[in-house]
Amino acid sequence: MFKIIQYLQMRRTEITGIFFYNPEGLYPDPIDYTDLIRYSFSFANIAKAYTCSDFVWNEKNILKKIEENNFGHIIIAGLMPGTVKALFSKAMALAGKDPENVSLASFNDYCSGTIYSPERLKIVLASIISGIPYEFTGIPDELHVEKATLVIGGGISGIQAALEIAYSNNLVYLVEKSGTIGGKMATFDKTFPTLDCAACILTPKMVEVNQHPNIRLMSYSEVLEVSGRPGNFNLRILKKARKVNVQTCIGCGTCAEKCPAQAPSEFDAGTCMRKAIYIPFPQAVPNKYLIDAENCIYLKNGKCKACVKACPVPGCIDLDEKDSELTINVGNIILASGYKTFDAGRMTQFGYGQFPNVLNSLEFERLLNASGPTGGNIHLRSQDKKGNWIFNESSPRPDKLAIIHCVGSRDKNFNKYCSRVCCMYSLKFAHLIMDKLPEAEIFEYFIDMRSFGKGYEEFYERIKQEEVSIIRGKTAKVEQHGEKLFIRGEDILRGEILENTVDMVILSVGLEAGEDARKLAGILDISTNADGWFEEAHYNLDPTGTCRGGIYLAGTCQGPKDIPDCVAQGSAAAARVIQSILKGRVRDDVSSVTLDHVERKIKELSTVPI
Amino acid sequence: MSTRVHPELRNQLMQFGIGDWNACYHCGTCTAQCPLSEEGFLFPRKKIRLMQMGLKNELEASVEPWLCYYCGDCSTSCPRDANPGELMMSLRRYLTSIYDWTGLSKKFYTSELWELFFILSFAVLVVVSFLVLLPSMGYHFTRELTSEGGVQVNAFAPIHVVETFDWTMAFIVASLLISNILRMYYKIIWKYGNTKVSLWVHIREFWLLIFNFAVQPKFNKCDDKRYWLSHWFLMSGYTIMFIVIVVYLPWFQTERILPIYNPQRLLGYYATFGLLFGLFVAIIGRMQKKDIKFLFSHISDWLFLAMLSLTAITGILIHIFRINGMPMATYISYIAHMAVLVPMILIEVPFSKWSHLAYRPFAIYFQQLKKHAVPR
Repeated sequence: MFKIIQYLQMRRTEITGIFFYNPEGLYPDPIDYTDLIRYSFSFANIAKAYTCSDFVWNEKNILKKIEENNFGHIIIAGLMPGTVKALFSKAMALAGKDPENVSLASFNDYCSGTIYSPERLKIVLASIISGIPYEFTGIPDELHVEKATLVIGGGISGIQAALEIAYSNNLVYLVEKSGTIGGKMATFDKTFPTLDCAACILTPKMVEVNQHPNIRLMSYSEVLEVSGRPGNFNLRILKKARKVNVQTCIGCGTCAEKCPAQAPSEFDAGTCMRKAIYIPFPQAVPNKYLIDAENCIYLKNGKCKACVKACPVPGCIDLDEKDSELTINVGNIILASGYKTFDAGRMTQFGYGQFPNVLNSLEFERLLNASGPTGGNIHLRSQDKKGNWIFNESSPRPDKLAIIHCVGSRDKNFNKYCSRVCCMYSLKFAHLIMDKLPEAEIFEYFIDMRSFGKGYEEFYERIKQEEVSIIRGKTAKVEQHGEKLFIRGEDILRGEILENTVDMVILSVGLEAGEDARKLAGILDISTNADGWFEEAHYNLDPTGTCRGGIYLAGTCQGPKDIPDCVAQGSAAAARVIQSILKGRVRDDVSSVTLDHVERKIKELSTVPI
Repeated sequence: MSTRVHPELRNQLMQFGIGDWNACYHCGTCTAQCPLSEEGFLFPRKKIRLMQMGLKNELEASVEPWLCYYCGDCSTSCPRDANPGELMMSLRRYLTSIYDWTGLSKKFYTSELWELFFILSFAVLVVVSFLVLLPSMGYHFTRELTSEGGVQVNAFAPIHVVETFDWTMAFIVASLLISNILRMYYKIIWKYGNTKVSLWVHIREFWLLIFNFAVQPKFNKCDDKRYWLSHWFLMSGYTIMFIVIVVYLPWFQTERILPIYNPQRLLGYYATFGLLFGLFVAIIGRMQKKDIKFLFSHISDWLFLAMLSLTAITGILIHIFRINGMPMATYISYIAHMAVLVPMILIEVPFSKWSHLAYRPFAIYFQQLKKHAVPR
């Protein structure tokens, strides 16, 4: 260790220039550079400081600065400084200096999630300028860890993480906001590219969670408050009133038969109706009914109780049950709160919400699903006798379908990032439509086809062989012309305007951070990026960690990803938890390391006096 | 024809307007959005592609920039903020400078100093010629100015001298503009592509030129129809005024004040109203910057509006002073009027923004010719 420090500290004898770098557009830039420059000048070896706005950063200008000031060592500090390192190394070489004498003070590497805290930035600067590696100064202490773990979110990532930890013989609390675990994956019909039946591979895992002795499943619950230090978190959990006793409910369904109130089914993405007392879907875990307080007639005007009268188990339904709270104590927390889909209605040009046969991908997913509103057959939405637009099996089938990619993604007006999964699920849709309606014509309007994963490109090639028109060029507009939908787009590869009339349009909506992501970030005291995705500790090397000790991320709450990646990250987060349980210790929050602490440590370790 | 790539084209175009055109990832939203984009003449995306690839010859041979009336829908819906509408506008400026063989247009568009210098020198020249040249030819300022019996514009600015000057100016401007249009024709129809167009097609489609010039029906095809009317008023007002002062000056500029219902005055009032209305909409729009169409104003846009407004205002002043019998004020306004009008016509018509009055209808005519082109 001291050899490294001695080597790095040799640079301290050189005249050092510090350059503050901020890549344009990647991060918002509320960093106070003048403060940082002032701080860096408190070190004797810093001769000059520059920022991006001082001069144009090119080889010629940098070389000029090096020669002017006779820099022997250069520090590039800022966000992603590695992207400009080559420029500086070359300039150093051209100036006849050692090109190796360029060090990086990467704010987002060393304090991701806290990159806007001036103290953290100064810690990084102090370590790099003084030549003591951050690893020796900025790493927090370790604390004792409790054995129990909390997993927030019961989607595929949460289920995977909970099972991994439970199988290591440790207690897991799984908190799920809705009435059933399974998350978004449970609503899907098939998975790409293998075309596995999503429910067939997911439901056994859900049952496993329910039956595992080490998992305490808390469905219809939310985390209210987190206190304590890493390794010993105290949590307040809100148990929302289900109004049906989970222990005694036998799931017979007589209550729902008698219930007079209806509401759109959340599980079916609103494509069909459910009762006010309902089970989210037939394979729900726990497979018990619950009452939706917003639509229950008794809870609104005090009369009805049809379900209580119908229930064969006495005392099972308690309509006056109130929300309750409980507290638990855990050592680690895994956050797997998932995503929400982009609200296609925001892109008014596609007419979602105005034209009945413009669907978003979750709705279409339900339409394809055998447990969906049409039993897995694709039918157009049509009006019933009362004039409501519904899916039923007597309405006609579409002959022409269009799938529009990148709805809400890669668009500076909405979300500028790529949502990663839409291209593949759209190709999957095309395949499943071909499967169910062999006569149908399918048009895919895409911008770039992102088939990036194992087996994905092969899947794309396969779909191209099936008679699907894959058109490069996003459409501008969907209009209703009578019964049909009119689409105008540019076929870029042929250089033509393509005007098309179809029966159904499917919008491949992107992924967005969950509705309560920011609330959870506040409760857990971790940070999100500008788009609302939770910030990982290190983009490349610690994608499951956060800036807090004992809190880990899994699945799409960290960023858009597909099912295999979610499962992998669920396992990875579980591995981190199991590691800390086996070791008996967990690393403290990054913020527990203060600047004083670091400066003291630097003094201790320095071989060259400051 | 071989294809040559001009990598410097991108940077050159940046001088003609503002836009992050490299951000375009070719989703085709703009083209699909545009109601004017049609088979065989797709824009703006295709033009961005040509620009990104540095295909200068192809760009110079395209009529599409002139088919765009800048409603701004493409820029609003662009998912990359690449600003395709502004690219089309910049391409129009660029093409104007390319059609112009003197090279002055490029200078004016890329250097504000050059443009201002030329405008000011022409203005000074006009004032000097009024103060020095005319008296030296025997028209004595002082005598005319103090003469009894009301305003005598024709005596102050002798009508035959002004008329000769008008015709000379019109000749110079017209020959420049016609030569530019011929160059445009050469680039679009002759040089590019292995096709030919028969003479009969040239004659048959000629009505399109007149029709599009007079009515501008394509502008009204835009989804945003608010600006067609104000633009049409501006254009018709300007054209009427131009014809009247160049061709029918003796009829228009009379010493006797005619009754208000006389066509001479009615035409003048209509033209003034058209000009003012169009100018008002454009200036307010450019100042408010609410519409994407008016978001980015090049210096040439402002100069054009400023000079046109000054011309209109000084023209109105001449009229007011004249009918109220105020000789001195009338003569001063007259000098000011000429000092704005002359540089405007000499610089704007062949070299700058005004030229779109000619290039647009011709581009539509050439587009039609291209549609009927047969392989050579």
